[in-house]
Amino acid sequence: MHLAPISAVMMLAPTRLTHLAPVDVVILLMYFVMVIFIGFYVKGSTNTSEQFFLAGREMTAWIAGLSFVSANLGSLELMGWAGAAYQYGILATHWYWIGAIPAMLFLGIVMMPFYYISKTHSVPGYLQLRFGEGARGVSGVCFAFMTILMSGVNMYAMAVVMQVVLGWNIDFSMWVGAITVAIYVMLGGLRSAIINEVLQFVLIWAGAMLIPILGLIEAGGWHNLKAQIAVRMGAEYTHLWSTTGSFSANPMGVHWTGIVFGLGWVISFGYWTTDFLVVQRVLSANSLRSARLAPIIGSAFKMFVPFFVILPGLLALVLLKDPSGHLIQLYPDGSPQVLAGAHSFNQVLPLMMVRYLGPGLLGLGITALVAGFMSGMAGNVSAFSTVWTYDIYGAYINKKASDSHYVLMGRWSTVVGMIISVATAYLVRNSASIMDYVQELFSFFIAPLFGTVILGMLWKRATKAGGFWGLLSGTAASVFMWLAVLHDKANIRFMILQPHASADTILRVQAMAANLYRALWSWCICVAVTIVVSYMTKPKSEAELTGLVYGSTVIPHDGSRNIFEKPIFWAIVVATILFILNLWLW
Amino acid sequence: MSESHPQPGAPHPHHVDPSTEQSLSIWFFVGVLMLGCGVMIFGEGVYEFWHPGTTVLANLHPSFWWGMVMTLFGAFYTIRFRPGKG
Repeated sequence: MHLAPISAVMMLAPTRLTHLAPVDVVILLMYFVMVIFIGFYVKGSTNTSEQFFLAGREMTAWIAGLSFVSANLGSLELMGWAGAAYQYGILATHWYWIGAIPAMLFLGIVMMPFYYISKTHSVPGYLQLRFGEGARGVSGVCFAFMTILMSGVNMYAMAVVMQVVLGWNIDFSMWVGAITVAIYVMLGGLRSAIINEVLQFVLIWAGAMLIPILGLIEAGGWHNLKAQIAVRMGAEYTHLWSTTGSFSANPMGVHWTGIVFGLGWVISFGYWTTDFLVVQRVLSANSLRSARLAPIIGSAFKMFVPFFVILPGLLALVLLKDPSGHLIQLYPDGSPQVLAGAHSFNQVLPLMMVRYLGPGLLGLGITALVAGFMSGMAGNVSAFSTVWTYDIYGAYINKKASDSHYVLMGRWSTVVGMIISVATAYLVRNSASIMDYVQELFSFFIAPLFGTVILGMLWKRATKAGGFWGLLSGTAASVFMWLAVLHDKANIRFMILQPHASADTILRVQAMAANLYRALWSWCICVAVTIVVSYMTKPKSEAELTGLVYGSTVIPHDGSRNIFEKPIFWAIVVATILFILNLWLW
Repeated sequence: MSESHPQPGAPHPHHVDPSTEQSLSIWFFVGVLMLGCGVMIFGEGVYEFWHPGTTVLANLHPSFWWGMVMTLFGAFYTIRFRPGKG
């Protein structure tokens, strides 16, 4: 889901946007020195597989929570969603609010006890416990494949951003990024990745916060900004819900059913509760209470991310001007204007940075972007290393090796993973459209996976065969729908249940909105197949389900001593604030 | 390998590495990085009082103020989580 709608063609701009002053270079170098130092420093405490792959399960709620939200705060996301805000207006905020917060709270309150009590090391590991080797095999191979491709995409995106913003050589940026990440993940495993994600989190907040602050000052406050946007683009650009009553009343061409059920339910819950990249961060928590609190802490921070991601996109609509005072118009990636040298939507964040940030601050902003990209690579490679070692190598190739052998395999798979990532990055460089496809891949798999996991956790009757065939058919259905729309966009009308939709309506339904419905249908198909096949096959015994399924598991007390220590209390606080924010921007 | 296999993921005999008892806190790293960046940006902000920047709203001296905030934040975390503080 939360992969940004960013494209490789984005940065075919002919000239660089700015250059770094010496103070900026010093800040960037300081960051690189620190991440390498951290890798060497934590190597001594990553000797066992649990230490290497799950950071020893020693992380506090705050660290696991910041790492959890930070794993989804990469630069691809920041730049892509700032561009989406420029293109679609405030509707892009849905991907941060209803498209994230309820799922994060649900993970903490309902699902985390099962992941944590089962002592699983990965999401495929949970599927193996609940549904057997078939489901684990499908999800393990998919995860390994996706994470390694995404790492390559992050690497290439970083290199291209550095080329466009600073004029750096693409090969230089890719190799420096790859080698740095390989060193600190190989040495320190998940522990190293988590520390760097917390650093990245702080850097991004420090580096990006000034843009909306200065932007609001320049615009004369939020109300003046809304008035100016209404004049230039229309009032629908600053409303979250009131324009979603029909497909044609808003810039995204989306209906509220797609937002609520496709995004808010399937895609969001699929991503935040079953994508191993983010769930792995919470599994590193040092207690059940920390594991439950971590997603809730993460959600509280997530709620304010639109302030420095969406708001800059909105500000750019009325403030981004050339030296002569004329508004700069941005265009879609790959459009004739962009190919002729105009800026694209996805460049809006770097453009706003250059507008407001002078020497020093610009270095901080660029360092935050670099940290975000490297963190994206590190998160994917560490997840790949875990899934490869536990769910593929340890499950099918070498079942009885020693613990130290698996740690060694984890370190080597990190290096091999980075090499494959570099190869992917060069592949993307030669064929820009591959990058778009790779970003679609996650959505094929995540929505049906959520169907399988949620039925596995909440429905005792779900069987091994049901889980396997449900997951497989949901994924296949998702790929089929994607191919159908790729073949002929008019096929969207079946996905949105409007077979007689006009050509204009079909035209207005953007790819982002179509994804919501594809995810919804693939989830429904997964759930339906799982239920039907489960009723046709023999269920597991009660004893086999203990610790894995609601109703067969006694959830231990998490140690909360008063209401302020209870995860549910803070979940209600976050949900209330989210509700108020949605009402405010209705 | 089955999930219950005793090797990978099994608690290590020395589950808590003794070296981690004296380890540097993550927050210490955060503090040092913010302090380093903050001092550099603050210095640049002071310089810009005599050599004004060309960015929009440079007259508000964002480098000076933001550098000061980051320096204070970084210094607090560096001192609060310094090694050996327990």
